[in-house]
Amino acid sequence: MGRINLLGYRPWQGTLHGAWMTPWPVSRVALGMVFRRKLFWLLYALGLFHFLVYFGGIYLFYQIDIPSLAGSNPQVIRFWTDTVRAIQEQLYMAGTKETYRNFIWLQGYVVMAVLALAGAILIGNDYQYGSLPFYLSKPLNRWHYLAGKFLAVALFVNMLTTLPALILFAECSLMEGWNYIENRAELLVGILGYGAVLSVCLGLLVLAVASWVRKTVPLIMVWVGILFFGRAVADSLVDGLGLDARWRLVDMWNNMYLLGSWCLDVAPQLEAGRRFITRPQPEAWEAAVVVAAVCGLCLLYLDRRIRAVEIVR
Amino acid sequence: MDAVASERAALAERLPEALTRSASPDGSPAPILQFDRVSKWYGPVIGLNEVSFHLEPGITGLVGPNGAGKSTLMKLATGQLRPSLGVVTVLGKSAWSAEAKWHVGYCPESDVFYEEMSGRDFVRAIARLSGFGAQEAAQRAERALELVGMSDQAHRCVRGYSKGMRQRIKLAQALVHDPELLILDEPMNGIDPVVRRDLHRLFFDLAEQGKSLLISSHQLEELERLTDRVMVVARGRLLAQGTVTEIRDMFENQPLTVRIGCDRPRELAGALLRLPEVLGVELGAGGMVTVRARQPQRFYRAFGQLVLEENLDVTHLETTDCSTQAILEYVLQESL
Amino acid sequence: MSYNGLRMALIELEQIGRRFGNHVALRDVTLRLEPGRIGLLGPNGAGKSTLLKILMGLLKPSEGQGRLMDVDIRTGGIRLRRLIGYMSEADALVPGLRGAEYVALAGQLYGMPRGEAHRRAHEVLTYLGLEEARYRRLEEYSTGMKQRLKLAQALVHDPPLLFLDEPTSGLDPAGRDAMLRLLLTLGRDHGKSFILSTHLLNDVERVCETVVILYRGRVIEQGRTEELRTSRYDRYRLQIEGRLGGLIDDLRAEGVQVLTATRGRRAVPLGAEVDVELGDNGRASLAELVVLVPQDWRTRLFFTLADNRGVVIRGLQRDDEDLEQIFHRKIQETGTREAAGHGTH
Repeated sequence: MGRINLLGYRPWQGTLHGAWMTPWPVSRVALGMVFRRKLFWLLYALGLFHFLVYFGGIYLFYQIDIPSLAGSNPQVIRFWTDTVRAIQEQLYMAGTKETYRNFIWLQGYVVMAVLALAGAILIGNDYQYGSLPFYLSKPLNRWHYLAGKFLAVALFVNMLTTLPALILFAECSLMEGWNYIENRAELLVGILGYGAVLSVCLGLLVLAVASWVRKTVPLIMVWVGILFFGRAVADSLVDGLGLDARWRLVDMWNNMYLLGSWCLDVAPQLEAGRRFITRPQPEAWEAAVVVAAVCGLCLLYLDRRIRAVEIVR
Repeated sequence: MDAVASERAALAERLPEALTRSASPDGSPAPILQFDRVSKWYGPVIGLNEVSFHLEPGITGLVGPNGAGKSTLMKLATGQLRPSLGVVTVLGKSAWSAEAKWHVGYCPESDVFYEEMSGRDFVRAIARLSGFGAQEAAQRAERALELVGMSDQAHRCVRGYSKGMRQRIKLAQALVHDPELLILDEPMNGIDPVVRRDLHRLFFDLAEQGKSLLISSHQLEELERLTDRVMVVARGRLLAQGTVTEIRDMFENQPLTVRIGCDRPRELAGALLRLPEVLGVELGAGGMVTVRARQPQRFYRAFGQLVLEENLDVTHLETTDCSTQAILEYVLQESL
Repeated sequence: MSYNGLRMALIELEQIGRRFGNHVALRDVTLRLEPGRIGLLGPNGAGKSTLLKILMGLLKPSEGQGRLMDVDIRTGGIRLRRLIGYMSEADALVPGLRGAEYVALAGQLYGMPRGEAHRRAHEVLTYLGLEEARYRRLEEYSTGMKQRLKLAQALVHDPPLLFLDEPTSGLDPAGRDAMLRLLLTLGRDHGKSFILSTHLLNDVERVCETVVILYRGRVIEQGRTEELRTSRYDRYRLQIEGRLGGLIDDLRAEGVQVLTATRGRRAVPLGAEVDVELGDNGRASLAELVVLVPQDWRTRLFFTLADNRGVVIRGLQRDDEDLEQIFHRKIQETGTREAAGHGTH
C-alpha cells in the first residue's frame, strides 16, 4: 500500500492530565531562566565561600595532628591548640548543632541577594513581558502558577542553606564514623526544619514583594528595606534604646533564626560587639507567630494580586 | 452655467493658495514635501536608497512590507533624521530646520507618552513645546482633542487608555499646531470601527482644507477607503507612486483578471475571445466569466463596445487584481 | 473528550450579565453558536473581552448561565480552558525561551505529557512555517513570527476551539494574508472552530461564516454573514474612467438617482448640475458612482450612456452591503432604538 503523508496539520490524540502537574513546568522554566544568569552563579559561588570555610574548618578540627605539626616545642603546641579551640568555640566548627545553625544564619546575606535576583526574574519579568497572561490563560489557576514559582524559589533557598548544611553533616559523619549519625540524627531533622522555615517564609515573601513592585531595582530596594533595614531598626531599638526584646521581631531574618534555633534546639545567641553585653532575644513562639502572620499576609496579597482578570484586556 | 464657472473659479483660487504660501525663489510653488535623491543609512544598514518624489495635497497612502523603509521615510520627512545623501524639503525649506517642523505634524507608530500625564495635559504640553502661549495652547489642545473625539476622556491618565485612545491622543498631538503636512504612521492601529469612521471623516476634512496627509498602513482595505493614491516602498526604494489604477495599468506583463457576470455568458466568452487584448477566458460557475486581458485601457473601451454590439446585460464587472494589495504584490514581484 | 462537532452547540449562553461595581459590562447576552468560524465584533468597551473571559472561565457571570461544549461556564474553570487555545493580542511571551521550548511549555501547561508536548511543538511550528526559527530565542522573533508563534502555542494541544484576539495586528500585508489563509484552512479543512475578535471587519469578512456584534454589552446582531447582508437589487456601483460631467446628467435624465460620486475617494459635489472635479490629481483616479436605478433597468444603458459621453466603465457591481456597512447600520439602529426607548419612559 502506498502512502503519502504531507507535512500538513495533524491532529493530536492523547489525554491531557490535570492541573496538578502544571507547577512542574512552571518551575522548570523559572529555574532555567535564573540558571542562565551569570550573576546568579557569581552569587552562588559567593555563597559557597562560607561553606568552604566551614568545610575546611571541620576538616581541620578533626584532622589536625598537633604534635606532628609543631614538633615538641611547647609554645608552638600551645599556639595550635589555642587556634583549634578558637575555631571550635568562636565559630562552632565542631559539627555540633551550633555549627549548622550558625552556618545557615551566615548564609543569610547571600540568600537575600539571590532571592532579590530570582524574584525579579521569576515574577517581575512575568508582569513586564506579559508572561502572566500566557500562564493564566492555560488550564491552571493562580495557585498552580504560584506553586510553580514557589518551588523554584524554595530550591534556591535550599541550594544555599539546607544542601550545604547536609553536606557538612555528611562530612562530620565521615570523620567521626557511624556513631555521629546515631547520636545526632535529630540534627538532620533540625536542619531540614530550619530549611523548611526559610523556604516557606522567604519564598512567600519574595513572591509577594516581586508581584508588588515588579521591577528589578525597586524590588532590590524593598527587599533590602525589609531584611537589612529591619535588622538595623531592630538592633537600634533593642540594643541602642534598650526597648523590649520583642521589638526585635521586626527583623525577619532574626525571626527565622529564632525558629531555626528552636528546630535545632540551640539557645539563640546573637554575636555581640563586646563580650559582656548580652543581647536579649524574644521567645521562639513569638517569632513563629510573626512569621506565620507574614506568610498569611503574603498569601492574601498574592491572592488579590495575581488575578486572571488581567488576561484578556 | 454661471454656477459652474464660479465654482471652478473658487476652486482654482483655493487650490493654489494652499500651495503658494511659501514659494521657492524662482516663483513656482514649492511642493509641500519633496525628497531629492535621498538616501539614509544607519552604519552599514541602508534604510532608504536614493528616493525622489514630491507629495501632492490630499491623502496619500504609504505601503510596503515590514522593514521596507516606511518609517525611515517618515522620520526623514518630519526632520527627525537627517538624510545621509540628498535633500528633504518641506515647503521649500530643509525638513531638518525649525521652520519646516512648524508645518509638519507627526503621529508616530510607537507610544511616546508620560504615562502619568492626562491626555489633555500631554497635548497641551506638546502645544506649549510648539511655541504657543499657555492660553492658546490650552485652546488648541481642546480643539485637537475634539477633532479626534477625545474631549470627554482627556482628563484621564494615559496609563489607563486603550490602544485606540492612545492612537487618538497621538493624533491630537500631531494636529495641535494645525500643520499643512501630516505624517501618520499606522494611525488606525487598534482603533475600533466606530472611531475609525470618525477619523476617516476627519482625514477627508483635512484633505478638503488643502492639507497633505501621508498615511502608512498595513491594512490596505482600510487605506483604500481613504484614498486611491499610494506610494509603494520596498527594500529602501520607492517602487511606485500614483493612483492604484494608474500603477496597475503600467504592468504590461501582468494581465488583468476581470470577472464578468452576464445574462449570456457563452456568447460573451466567444465575443471576448475575438478581442486582441484578451489572453484567456474561463467560464465559471453561476454564469461568471473570468477574463485575462492585457492593455487595460484598450480592453475596457473594447469591452464597452462589445456590450453594445452584442446587446448584453452585464450584471457584474470587476477587476479582481486592481486592489492596493494586488498592486503591492505585483510591484514586489516585478522588482525582484 | 470526544466531541461531536455537528450535533452539539459550541456555545450556548442564556441571559448572561456581568457587572463590575456600577458598570454593566454585559447584559442579557443570549447566544447559541454552532461550531464554525465566528467573528466577534464590537467597538472598544462593548464587552468583547468580558465575554471571552467568561467563556474561558476566568470571570464568573453576575447572572445567567451557559455552556461551552457541554461544560458549564460557571463551574467549568480549568476544564473550559483545556478546550480552548487562546491567542492573545499582547505579546504573551516568556523571555529567554527558544521558540520550541515556549510552545512545548504551553503544551505542558495544557496538560500534555512532557515528551508529547515537545514532539508536538516541533510539529506545529513546522506546520506554521517556523521550522527555521524553532531554536531562536523569543526576543529575536519578528512581529510576524511572534504572531505565528502565538498561534502555535494555542494549537499545540489540538483544541477544538480557538480564541483569537486581533491575530493580524502588526502584520504587514503579506503576513496578514498568510495568517488569514492559515486560519481559513484550520477552520475549513481541519474542523477547528474559532472566535475571531477584531476591529478589522475585512478580516472577519474573509474568514468567518458567522458574526456576533456586541454593542454596549448587548448582542445586537448575530447570524451568518450572508443572511445579515441586505441585497440591494436596485443599487449599483460604477467605476468610471474619464470626466463625469455629462454622464451624471444623462443618468438623471434616464431616471437614475445618483447617490454619491467620488473620485479618488474624495466626494465630488453633486449640487444642481454642478460638476466640479479635482483638477490636477483627479485625472488618474477612477470616479465611483453609487446609483439607484428605476425598475426594469437594463445595465446595457450604462454602457450606452458612457459611450455617448466618451467615458469608459471599468467596474460595475451590485452595491450590496458589506460587513462594515452592516456593522454601522446595526449600531445606528440600536442607538436610535435606545433613544426612542428613553423617549417613552
